[in-house]
Amino acid sequence: MELNEVSLILGGAQGSGLEASMLILSRALAYGGYGVIADREYYSNITGRHSYIHMNVSATNIPRSLRYPVNLLAAMDSESIFTHFNDVANGGVIIYDRGVDGKRISDVPSMEDALKLRVLKHLQDLNIESDVASILTYLEKERRITRVGVDFTRWLRMLASKFELQPRVLSRYVSGIIVVTTALILGLDLEYVKYGFEAQFGNRKEIVKENLYLMDLIKEDLNQYGGLLQIKKPTINSDKVMLATGNDFVAIGKIVAGVRYQSYYPITPAADESFLLEKFEVIEYDGDVIGPIIVMQTEDEIAAITSAMGASLTGSRSSTATSGPGFDLMVEGLSWAGMNEVPIVITYYQRGGPSTGQPTRGSQSDLFNAAFSAHGEFARVVLSSGDHLEAFYDTVNAFNIAERYQVPVIHLLDKFLANSLATVPVPDLSKVTIDRGFTSNGGKDYKRFDLNHKISPRAFLGTLNTVMWYSGDEHDEYGHIVEDPENRISMYSKRIEKLQIIESEVPEEIKLRLYGEGSPDYLIVGWGSVKGVALDALDELRKAGYRGMYLDMKMLYPFPKKEFLKVISGVDPSRVIAVEHSYNVSISDLISMSTNVKIVKKVAKFTGRPMVLNEFVEAIIKLLTSKEEYKVLRYGA
Amino acid sequence: MVPEVNSYKTDLWVDWCPGCGNFGILTAVTKALEELKLEPSRTVIVSGIGCSGKIAHFVNVNGVHTLHGRAIPFAMGIKLANPDLTVIVHGGDGDLLSIGGAHFVALGRRNLDVVVVMHDNGVYGLTKGQASPTLQLGVKTKSLAKTNIQQPVNPILLALASGYTFVARGYALDVNHLKEIFKKAITHRGAAFVDVLQPCVTFNDVLTADYYRKRIHKLEDEGGWDPLVKDIDDRRSKLFKAIEKGLEWDSKIYTGIFYLDNSVMAFEERLSERLSRYPLRNPSNSKIVADNSRPIIGSDNFEKIFKDFVVYVRKGG
Ligand SMILES: Cc1ncc(C[n+]2csc(CCOP(=O)(O)OP(=O)(O)O)c2C)c(N)n1
Ligand code: SF4
Ligand SMILES: [Mg+2]
Repeated sequence: MELNEVSLILGGAQGSGLEASMLILSRALAYGGYGVIADREYYSNITGRHSYIHMNVSATNIPRSLRYPVNLLAAMDSESIFTHFNDVANGGVIIYDRGVDGKRISDVPSMEDALKLRVLKHLQDLNIESDVASILTYLEKERRITRVGVDFTRWLRMLASKFELQPRVLSRYVSGIIVVTTALILGLDLEYVKYGFEAQFGNRKEIVKENLYLMDLIKEDLNQYGGLLQIKKPTINSDKVMLATGNDFVAIGKIVAGVRYQSYYPITPAADESFLLEKFEVIEYDGDVIGPIIVMQTEDEIAAITSAMGASLTGSRSSTATSGPGFDLMVEGLSWAGMNEVPIVITYYQRGGPSTGQPTRGSQSDLFNAAFSAHGEFARVVLSSGDHLEAFYDTVNAFNIAERYQVPVIHLLDKFLANSLATVPVPDLSKVTIDRGFTSNGGKDYKRFDLNHKISPRAFLGTLNTVMWYSGDEHDEYGHIVEDPENRISMYSKRIEKLQIIESEVPEEIKLRLYGEGSPDYLIVGWGSVKGVALDALDELRKAGYRGMYLDMKMLYPFPKKEFLKVISGVDPSRVIAVEHSYNVSISDLISMSTNVKIVKKVAKFTGRPMVLNEFVEAIIKLLTSKEEYKVLRYGA
Repeated sequence: MVPEVNSYKTDLWVDWCPGCGNFGILTAVTKALEELKLEPSRTVIVSGIGCSGKIAHFVNVNGVHTLHGRAIPFAMGIKLANPDLTVIVHGGDGDLLSIGGAHFVALGRRNLDVVVVMHDNGVYGLTKGQASPTLQLGVKTKSLAKTNIQQPVNPILLALASGYTFVARGYALDVNHLKEIFKKAITHRGAAFVDVLQPCVTFNDVLTADYYRKRIHKLEDEGGWDPLVKDIDDRRSKLFKAIEKGLEWDSKIYTGIFYLDNSVMAFEERLSERLSRYPLRNPSNSKIVADNSRPIIGSDNFEKIFKDFVVYVRKGG
């Protein structure tokens, strides 16, 4: 039977080349016309801890969510088997290194005790020894899981002698072995894999050649397993796709939006965005250059936001990128941006808190931090994006809104989106515009904070014949400190009341989006990266006879009350479910304080791992069919 | 448009305490700008928070009165984005060396072409006289309940260690001398630091005008004083000499230029090696919009520019 869709896990130690496997395999699949989404799960560690790639590959559409159980587990080491064997579907496949057959759980020091104990307990219940061979024998017998034991060492030795390679470099080729073996089992045309290697290694022709040599070896040895999990020929009709992470899409969005100054202090999962921007500092194109984009690694996040504000005052589009701990440091600066009406974009990738929390895991627990942090009252905008492509458009929207309304804009994303790799349609550039807002050529009596306008005309520092002042203290129209109560009322209100203008002017599609069938019998409300799993859940639930809709709240602050109420009006409140990667599911609190609509049913997940389809669907059904109000999801290693 | 003489001052009432050393700094700075004929619209004073920070409003050039401790990174963003501007930072000793200490060091490392003027009064003026990081150990100024038990940081040595390529000290009440230092600091290409001894008449009854009058010596009055680094080999010995003079405090306090090194690349130059056409083409003047409000990257060039992320699906099936 050919499969429309295949889920798989590639597991191995951090630093062993898993990411390369993910990229090569995804490139191969994209080239072959398949849709891919790949989530990266890893510890806050450089070498040795268990990490894995959780992928979903589809022949019929661009996948939006991850699933358990998986059809295939490709294990670089024994820990991957101990950790994930239970996630493999009946009839699935495990690829592994025969060299680890005799390994026992107790031989794996990198595995955390809690997990070891859980797995040992489970094995005890099943009455199995805690070594790899016993587990695989059990899976083969009881669950029809094929074990594809391969001899990494033999292939690597042959490679070494053929190309005269030093033993210490051989481990680099394991990622290629994983890719080729997986591709064989999926029955992919190995031409795709060849493309994957070429795209990955570019000019390093030797490495491509070596990997292709390995590919031939593997093909010969594993011929019998070819197409064991045959995936269907793809039917997605597109001649090109983009293959990139959320970080990449934001960076590309910033480049298109015209960012000219980006500052950052290194932090996961934000830093990759700045690395990419740095690669595009100057774009030589058609004999001209686009840019420059100055990418500054500052001494801390305080300097990141304050220097970006400084750059913004000169008229350059400016932004910074961070996650929770860094954002916390930026908050005083945010307040200055509010006070001085400075257009600036803060890309905020949430990860698990509080404190350093789970630095490399995902979360959506910072909604209130983004919406309400900083002292005093002022206008800001918080935008979120449901997927990679939205992240691109929203990045441009963020700059446009920042300049049009002269406010700080926080683009709230998370680690799941940031680090997951996906095939995505090429953005439609004809939909993209640049709005620089109300600018001014200044002049002799220029007033930066002119009260004749709800949004004062903005001249940039350096404008000819123009002098202006900015101050974090309350100021008059010129920007000079003034504590007069009447001036305070005018200035303070003007800044806050921009929120009303924003609420009324921003187009609905930036505020929220509604998916699914009309007159639903249930409604899921969420924001950000839960969109994918929510939309897939709608489809699954439809098969089970439920007719639902998903409301994706994109603009979180100011909260689009009018549009929200319009959507919610026809729905039975007891059939509304809020979902979020957090404990509190804060979106329901935000809704209740903004509109008085109380959502009592909630799906939460705060393990740091993304919500996956099976658990999500189960939770929704449970909430729809019982008196239960709160479901906590916990799937995933 | 260079203003008439004296119009480098705004007509705001200056709300420092009568007799405050800040008045001298204000005069010296406005005179320096005037004598250098700096275009007000191309000049920016970026200040921190404190009595000192208010100076941004009193000078008739662009003024950006920022956050406590953060004037330097604001200034960095301004200068990097528009390298045509002359950017001068004013901050208190608490502002620059305590809460903003990391930025002070970072600016030196970068040697960005910005002047930092520190209003060094030994106290936190605006919060009513607590000890600042330059106040000597064992001193009790009048608003301190107890004697200061923290050691001071030496601003001159810190600036030298951080990499500032122009390091000087002036005295707020010697306006002409200070003005000359400012002019040199402004025309210096690279990070310049001027430590200005500034009597706070309200809260610092130890570091008074009288105290300074007895101790201040001008470096240039020392025979043969020459702070200029001639070449790379000369750097070490000039640095040692500057440190030696910078260490003096109790009986002699030196003013003047301690160290001047033109041989270190300014940050703008380092950047221009990476960014073609910088600083001529820079963030504040480079184009981002094409016709009809379109981005300059459009359907025609998007795929070419981001080709590494585009996969062309194989033909046929
Ligand atoms: C984050 C923050 N903390 C504290 C303050 C309160 N504060 C205002 S001015 C100041 C100290 C000023 O001392 P200094 O920098 O030496 O400037 P001076 O007033 O002496 O010129 C402090 C602590 C503040 N504005 N911001
Ligand atoms: S408190 Fe001191 S520093 Fe502040 S204005 Fe008064 S005299 Fe000057
Ligand atoms: Mg002070």
